[in-house]
Amino acid sequence: MTSKRSLTPYLQVTPLALVLLVFFIVPIALVLIVSFFRYQMLVGLTPDFTFDNYLDVLTNPTTWRLYFSTVKFTLIVLALTFVIGFWIAYFLVFHIRNLLVSIGLFLVCTVPFWTSNIIRMISWRPILGKEGLINQALLDSGVVAHPLTWLLYSDFSVVIAYVHLNTMFMIVPIFNSMARIDRALLEVAVDAGATRWEAVWNIVLPLSKTGIALGALFVVTLVMGDFFVVSVMSGGLSGSATTGMFNDLQFLNYPRAAANAVILLIVVLLIAAGIFRLVDVRKELVR
Amino acid sequence: MNEAMLAPDSTRPSDRASGEIRLVDVTKSFAPGSYAVKDINLTIPDGSYCCLLGPSGCGKTTILRMIAGHETPTSGEITIGGQSVVGLPPVRRGTAMMFQSYALFPHLSVLDNVAFYLKMRGVGKDERRRQARAMLERVQLDHLRDRVPAQLSGGQQQRVALARSLITNPRVLLLDEPLSALDEFLRLRMRGELKSLQAELGITFVHVTHTQPEAIALADLVVVMDTGQIDQAAPASTIFNQPTTPYVARFMGGQNVLTGKVEGQSGELLRMRTAEGWTFEMPAGQSPPAPGTTASAAIRRDRVTLRKRDAEGAVPANAVPGVVEATEYQGSYIKVTLNTGMVHAFVANVGDAAYAAEPVVAGDAVLASWLPADVHVLTKPDLGDAGVPYLDISH
Amino acid sequence: MKTSSGRRPWTFYALAAFFALFVLFLYGPMISVLVLAFQGPSGALDFPLRNPSLIWFAELAHPKGTGDVIGAFNRSLPLALIVMVLSVLMSVTAGFAFRRRFHGATLLFYTAVASLIAPGLVLSIGILVMFRFLDLPAAWYSSALGAHLSWALPFGLLIMFAVLGRLNPSYEEAAYDLGASRWRTVRDVVLPIVFPGIIAVALFGFTLSYDEFPRTWLTAGTKNTLPLEIWTMTTNVTSPALYALGTVTTIFSFLLIGLALGSILVIQRRRSAQR
Repeated sequence: MTSKRSLTPYLQVTPLALVLLVFFIVPIALVLIVSFFRYQMLVGLTPDFTFDNYLDVLTNPTTWRLYFSTVKFTLIVLALTFVIGFWIAYFLVFHIRNLLVSIGLFLVCTVPFWTSNIIRMISWRPILGKEGLINQALLDSGVVAHPLTWLLYSDFSVVIAYVHLNTMFMIVPIFNSMARIDRALLEVAVDAGATRWEAVWNIVLPLSKTGIALGALFVVTLVMGDFFVVSVMSGGLSGSATTGMFNDLQFLNYPRAAANAVILLIVVLLIAAGIFRLVDVRKELVR
Repeated sequence: MNEAMLAPDSTRPSDRASGEIRLVDVTKSFAPGSYAVKDINLTIPDGSYCCLLGPSGCGKTTILRMIAGHETPTSGEITIGGQSVVGLPPVRRGTAMMFQSYALFPHLSVLDNVAFYLKMRGVGKDERRRQARAMLERVQLDHLRDRVPAQLSGGQQQRVALARSLITNPRVLLLDEPLSALDEFLRLRMRGELKSLQAELGITFVHVTHTQPEAIALADLVVVMDTGQIDQAAPASTIFNQPTTPYVARFMGGQNVLTGKVEGQSGELLRMRTAEGWTFEMPAGQSPPAPGTTASAAIRRDRVTLRKRDAEGAVPANAVPGVVEATEYQGSYIKVTLNTGMVHAFVANVGDAAYAAEPVVAGDAVLASWLPADVHVLTKPDLGDAGVPYLDISH
Repeated sequence: MKTSSGRRPWTFYALAAFFALFVLFLYGPMISVLVLAFQGPSGALDFPLRNPSLIWFAELAHPKGTGDVIGAFNRSLPLALIVMVLSVLMSVTAGFAFRRRFHGATLLFYTAVASLIAPGLVLSIGILVMFRFLDLPAAWYSSALGAHLSWALPFGLLIMFAVLGRLNPSYEEAAYDLGASRWRTVRDVVLPIVFPGIIAVALFGFTLSYDEFPRTWLTAGTKNTLPLEIWTMTTNVTSPALYALGTVTTIFSFLLIGLALGSILVIQRRRSAQR
């Protein structure tokens, strides 16, 4: 191999590496640096090396309350998207006999992913609102006397929106994993006396492990890092781990926002690292 | 093949460059300390059909890919027609390769696949289509020229791959397990077609396979490989009748291998004694092993005679005692496997008439005997370190 | 599961019903927005639909109270196109590099993954601070473009990983054998074979940028992109004009998806059609 040939991959990754350097590594490094700066009202930022911002954030009970709320949302959404994603993928892979139909239905599930998230959030208003379709139906049928107010602008609607927006990220990788399972394995299991349930539990579930882990990675990081869904769908009533950051930014308190951001980033990357220990994502992709 | 295939391509110069391939001390290592192939020396004569034969992982495909230019030897020299090709790109070697999966471009029609080489050489559209169609007619596929590869059967795909290789007018055609993707019926048919095609074209074919009958049926030169080394390179009849190593003898089938100490020579006959105490004789040949050394000999399975044996008695020379383990009907003969107490089973292929005269069944105690003329000494003793062939096909 | 008798087990019907509910859950709200966009002059934001009309679409074209929708679209569209083109070019070339071994490959891969999963708001703060330090104004064509690329590129790279990882190297070797240069091999063999994957990268690049909100919010500068404009409208526009805008952008997205998926389908058909 000549030296000219071995230089090629470096040239090929240069644009990608440059973009990641300038628009990911440098900004994150700056966030880290600024998180140690001092902030004074009316004066602005002063370069410093202080842990005050972190102390400020971590000793504030609001921070802990918001993180608790975010973790709660994350776990609920993770559970729901997993259950939905698993059974939808299972249905498409193992119950649809025609491959084209299966792919077609798969696309039906994934198309909304390519449309605007904000529009999709707004679209819950005429359904869940005080005069929305559900309340109209409940009132007309006499099930309730007054419209339910917890349907919209509540934790309930936040969870609905998260599931609505993020289930795709579960379905796609689980579908991919399941599609590679040899169907003969299920027949072998049934021949060996396994019930349908046992076959799913002992064969399908373990063999779709990598897809589940990938899906969980996406769902967890998207919900943990979200600010907008929770603020739109709770009507500003609930907060998330990013709410503190958002408020600091409003007051141009960049150092404290940065400290908040660093903490969030560490939490998210730790969770991701945990998931990466379970599956080799890179190997999974090229398989 | 039809008449059209016999007519030489008008574009080929009559004084075609030589397709003699020579490998000198070729070694290929993918990771430090381990070798895919080591110290390979091989000459494949111009215009011959050569089969590289061995189990998977023996290095045969690595050799093919080094000749093709898809791998570079770690050390050593490769020449084609006397010209060194190491470092040359594939297209400048005068070789064409047919891949195991055929590697037909899925986005191009059959015609465009065949015309690809001409397109890369800048040949105009009309001219390259004309030539590609002529080539397709030669493999009788012109009627399928507008299809894409996925619409063809395995056999048709193989012919397209062949046409795409041949349009480069190569002096060497390299075939990587070309028949392995076909079913049994097609495989036999395509085997015959490959052989006659090679005879017509007169160019060198190098064909990688793990199937012994394929190599024996096709090759002028069979190269038997074992874990990165060549054990024997010779015409098929020589490989089959006079294997030089225990590995080749076993891999080709048809031979039993006995190992023992050389006791001495009387006249033309060399005498050996096995660890079990059985003695046997064989023609000494040109350079017999010295008395006192360990040596191995091969005995053809179809020259072994079986006799039932009642009592424990002395075992005569040129015979081994054993118990029948299994009999297998093979049509014109019966394959009888004996347990002699040695590591490898001893096999006798008994003709159906001889078998009918004295049938044996599993459990019978028998004496297997042969004539010294049907034994030949191997150049390497069987020390138990040679690879054990994974396939034992019977003949 | 396949059964020889052809009768479907009861679980098929249970799961089919579940699937139907899920599709209703996915599309139901979108459809209600599409319907209510045709609300009459009463301007109610909820059902029922009274005196269907197109007045809310007309209001979008003449912005009195709805904000600068057309201006925002005129920024979002070129931004998304630039992100699409750059992410196709960069992730395809980088995808090729990753087929060979090179120093730092693993580091670069995990950096890309980290960039994909880092919360958008965190990254936006960093980019905003960087532009402040450099004393550059934040704008859709600089800071927002970078923010979008840091998210669309890793996506594209992952897709190219999957696509190129499944590409049989024999195709390239066959092309070299037949005299193709490296460049001709890429142009005439590899790119056409992986073209459906490239369309997928393009679709991802475009829509990830076109719909992106968290990464744009701080980095777009003074002029809004379309998602930012819609976000503003959710707080101060209380008429079905919002639904009309939602309808228009959703139809636009569906056209794009249809175009992309349709062309992938046509290509695959052509390569495998049963004569």
